[in-house]
Amino acid sequence: MASALAFERVTKRYRNGVVALDDASWSIPIGARTCLLGPNGAGKSTAIRLIEGALRASRGNVTLLGVEPDTPAYADARRRTGVVPQNPGMYADLSTVEYLELVRQLYGRGDVGRLIEAFGLGPHQRTMLAALSGGFRRRLLLAAALLSEPEILLLDEPTVGLDPVAAHEVHELLSEAMKGRTTLLCTHNLAEAEALCDDVVILRAGRVLLHEPLAALRGRVAPRLRLRARQGAGPLVAALRRRGLAVEVEADAAVVNVDGRRAAPELLRDLLGQGLDVYESVPLEPSLEQLFLDVVQA
Amino acid sequence: MIDRSVQILLGKELRQLGRSRGALVSATLLPLLLLVVVPIPQLVTLRNLPLDIPSMPGGGPPGLQSLRGADAFVLLLYPLFVTICGMIVPSLAASYTIVTERERRTLELLVALPVRLSQILVAKLLSILILGIVVTVPLFAVTATLVVILGAASAAEMALVLVPLGTAVVCSTCLSLLLTLLARDFRTANNVNGVLFFPVLIVAAGILVGVGGSARLLVLGAALLAIGGVAILAGARWITFERYLE
Repeated sequence: MASALAFERVTKRYRNGVVALDDASWSIPIGARTCLLGPNGAGKSTAIRLIEGALRASRGNVTLLGVEPDTPAYADARRRTGVVPQNPGMYADLSTVEYLELVRQLYGRGDVGRLIEAFGLGPHQRTMLAALSGGFRRRLLLAAALLSEPEILLLDEPTVGLDPVAAHEVHELLSEAMKGRTTLLCTHNLAEAEALCDDVVILRAGRVLLHEPLAALRGRVAPRLRLRARQGAGPLVAALRRRGLAVEVEADAAVVNVDGRRAAPELLRDLLGQGLDVYESVPLEPSLEQLFLDVVQA
Repeated sequence: MIDRSVQILLGKELRQLGRSRGALVSATLLPLLLLVVVPIPQLVTLRNLPLDIPSMPGGGPPGLQSLRGADAFVLLLYPLFVTICGMIVPSLAASYTIVTERERRTLELLVALPVRLSQILVAKLLSILILGIVVTVPLFAVTATLVVILGAASAAEMALVLVPLGTAVVCSTCLSLLLTLLARDFRTANNVNGVLFFPVLIVAAGILVGVGGSARLLVLGAALLAIGGVAILAGARWITFERYLE
């Protein structure tokens, strides 16, 4: 399948000697919705800047729609890409409609009026960008990124710093905007990644730790079962340990690494037979946060 | 001709400059003083009194020999004022358009758009150049007209003074590219401007005093263009998005 974005053995060393990406290779096929995850300093924003063409790789190749940034065809590839930057400064002397008009002219296409209406920016179209609230700033940035109907969407921490209501509104706009578009979502917010993406790339210290579909990632983690008994966690944990199971205690519950659907019936019969009144048995879906911590801390 | 993206960005820069009262006021007041308010009384005085230059061994520097009356104004004092103004206006505009964009991180908005750094900077430099010309040339024209009306110099002689004005504006605009590399905030920009301009003004004064006759204006123009050329070459050699975004 053709790649929308590709990093081939890319190293980015800044002038101060910091290595943001270290021999990193990964690619995103056309149509994929991929999340770029990693702790602070992992190289996520550097990756976005390399794709934008704002930075040059120290070594290796970055391509956007098969085109390298230094080639003449890159300008066209760039016009097919919308970017939501991470928390940029806002002009105090350009209004919403003037900024979107600038974006339209530079992309060479787009309907400013339609986007203003679709993103609820109508009451603020004459407002200077610096006077917009955090939520409306993100709406504006998203509207600007989508104005030219791009094939690729690069989202760099699109909800960072927003209150929960504004973040929820932006999520709804994002899930609509991402339909049918190749998307790279760079985020710290694991719930956001889980809700919006299908694939995950995890970076740490500039290296790619993992790149696979979210479903496959879940499959790599041992299934877990949460149990609660009327007698409390103590007797339950003791009984489980006698069976040789590794147990984690969560408040009044015990969590064991067993496949709930297969092993739970036999395990429950045994526990009930020992006189433990088990009233809850829940197979746990591994959260992306757990998966992320497992991978990053491994 | 000018790239389409540069034209679009130039429109943005000019619109923003037009709305920046601080930039416009500071870019207009000093030229108003140096090109109109201060020179006119000097011109009137020099027309009536000989320039009192002490005699020096060997007659002194060529630029001061046989310099009397209105010539001292047209060939020495006014070109120096004109050079100072031509240097100052673009530097003030650059502080607003280039450094403020960097300081307030609004550059990130432009980086997200399909434009190259070179296009962003060319648009900014053109807007600085245009502002420099729009502010200084009309003020120069006021004084030049008065000089010609008073019969202190011919229109052709005053037109020659446009050479240091135009080249100073170009030189200062080119130096703005170095400002882009060196200044990360408004205060640093003012300090860097001082560091960059002081030597240029010393060179200008040296040429005006050291070269005789009208040729001094052409030599000064050539020197300013050369300095501007070096600044552009140095800036183009070193500037990258990475340096500008730092």
